[in-house]
Amino acid sequence: MATPILSVRDLHTQFFTDDGVVQAVDGVSFDLFPGETLGIVGESGCGKSMTALSIMRLVPEPGRITTGEVRFRGEDLLKKSPEEMREIRGRDIAMIFQDPQSSLNPVLQTGYQVEEAMLVHDKVPKEKAAERTIALLKQVRIPAAERRVKDFPHQLSGGMRQRAMIAMGLSNTPALLIADEPTTALDVTVQAQILELLEDLNREIDTSIVMITHNLGVVAGLCTRVIVMYAGRIVEEGPVERIFDNPQHPYTWALLRSIPRIDASRHERLRSIEGLPPDLIRPPRGCRFHPRCPFRVERCFTDDPVLEDVGPEQRAACWVTMKRAYEEMGARELVDVSPGSASGVHSAAKDG
Amino acid sequence: MLSRGTLIYIGQRTVLIAFTVLAVSSIVFLGVHRLPGDALFSERMHGNEYAARLHYYHLDEPLIVQYRDFMLGLVRGDLGESLVNKGVKISPLVARELTVSAEVGAFALLFTIGVGMLFGVVAAIRQNSWLDYLLTTTSVIGYSMPNFVIASFLLLLFAVWLGNVTNGAYYFAIGWTGTYGNIGEIWLPAFALGFPYASIVARLTRASMLEVIRQDYIRTARAKGVREALVVIRHALRNSLIPVITILGPLVIGIITGGVVIENIFGIPGLGKEFAQSILNRDYNIVIGVFTMYAAMIGVANLGVDLLYVVIDPRIRY
Repeated sequence: MATPILSVRDLHTQFFTDDGVVQAVDGVSFDLFPGETLGIVGESGCGKSMTALSIMRLVPEPGRITTGEVRFRGEDLLKKSPEEMREIRGRDIAMIFQDPQSSLNPVLQTGYQVEEAMLVHDKVPKEKAAERTIALLKQVRIPAAERRVKDFPHQLSGGMRQRAMIAMGLSNTPALLIADEPTTALDVTVQAQILELLEDLNREIDTSIVMITHNLGVVAGLCTRVIVMYAGRIVEEGPVERIFDNPQHPYTWALLRSIPRIDASRHERLRSIEGLPPDLIRPPRGCRFHPRCPFRVERCFTDDPVLEDVGPEQRAACWVTMKRAYEEMGARELVDVSPGSASGVHSAAKDG
Repeated sequence: MLSRGTLIYIGQRTVLIAFTVLAVSSIVFLGVHRLPGDALFSERMHGNEYAARLHYYHLDEPLIVQYRDFMLGLVRGDLGESLVNKGVKISPLVARELTVSAEVGAFALLFTIGVGMLFGVVAAIRQNSWLDYLLTTTSVIGYSMPNFVIASFLLLLFAVWLGNVTNGAYYFAIGWTGTYGNIGEIWLPAFALGFPYASIVARLTRASMLEVIRQDYIRTARAKGVREALVVIRHALRNSLIPVITILGPLVIGIITGGVVIENIFGIPGLGKEFAQSILNRDYNIVIGVFTMYAAMIGVANLGVDLLYVVIDPRIRY
């Protein structure tokens, strides 16, 4: 395969709070290849957003990236000066944020906010920027873009605001686009439109995308590869079909099992993952998932598992893995959760 | 910016201000006429001199007639004649004094907003540094000290210790000609008047800036690669001003009324000095005139502050 455009190695981001040090990102490593769409999934607080902000070097106080490497086109971003980093932000790496309501400046015109992204990097001459802003807003399918550029964010709908955010992110045709839950705050119909838009853009301008979400449906629809994070660490990674068809980490398995299914029998209850995510100031010894894991063995209490190959291009950090759980522990296999089909679990009858 | 709605709003408010001024002057007029004491009476008067004086000012007429005449004069802009200095018309007098007070007030306001905001922003972006602590401490001192204490201290410092004064006439020659001092000297009373308010503005700006700088849209601006200085000036400052404008109304009124104290301490022949002087002289006509001017000033200042919202925050439209 080609050389990765982004290569994260052993990234640690910690928050130094009064109660102790929060290990928000704890030794994350992954590669992203040109044109690829990588999904990062996990529960709230598992460190996926902080991983993204660490790549951008926008970790809020009192957080700090303590160790690690973030190689972008071969250069370590963590060694860049603030000014060099500022030039990269928005030009080479753009980020789309979660909440379009609060992520746009309420006192500046929407068009100006898009235009500014181009002007700060001098990529487009000033006269052309206004023109390109309108073209961009049209590209993200904002109706009557010529008039909308003068509108303030509060005059736009949530979907339009998110589109404006995307237009802002795309304005310099970045090599890498990080989308942090871009659809979470939106209606389902608008969600679908936004995802379609991202997919088109990925194809049209060949931007690599890191898609951060807790929505497995989004991952299934959009991504080629997926990383599953739990408590600041990667617990499983692999091609999207492999992860959905044959997850090897019990956490991934449990996540997939918790998706509601349209064809489930009406009496079937939604299965949740028991317990709560661990306290990241004092994470549990051994495997961080062991307190909630249905398949834990003795070793899980004491030894920390590392990512190991569990299939073609698939790696999981588990002492047991689902293969053994199916064979020896009577775990039920997931059926028909592949992308495109109604995602979720099978009914009990199927695995007989 | 001046949409039709805004113009209608300004029109409505102007009418309201006019009625407020009429109401205030009526209350003061009626109140003053109930007061004991007399500016015209003197034990050295002979014969019917007292009655003649009363007649000259129409004070011998029934109150309702006097009130009617006063109101008719007021709507024409005529506030009558001084009781103490016969023949001195009040309207041009207070109008001239108003320009003096307005000048001092404007400088105080400029100082308040300019320095207050600057200190607030600097303290916020250098949060928890020695600079932040210095500015925060200064502002605590500032709003803990009443303006007359600051004014007295400034006089002590500049007039007595530094001796930078001529015969106690700080800003004007006796028998004022309409100009005073140079523009540099006006900063002393402006500082005394504005410092407590500047401290309040600084603290508020700091708090509001600290909140704004943590907002998602600031992160968005940084993610776009906007320079940190521009992030503060263009993205954060305007948003952090919105709560500051809210206190600007009471603050401007504080500067107007605080001018009474400051003008008396520095001997500035403005509306505030006249206000105190006319009460001591029992020059009731001037008292009424000064009150009327104050009512108008405060009304207009409030309107100005309310209109500032429209300029700062596009979400607010009248």
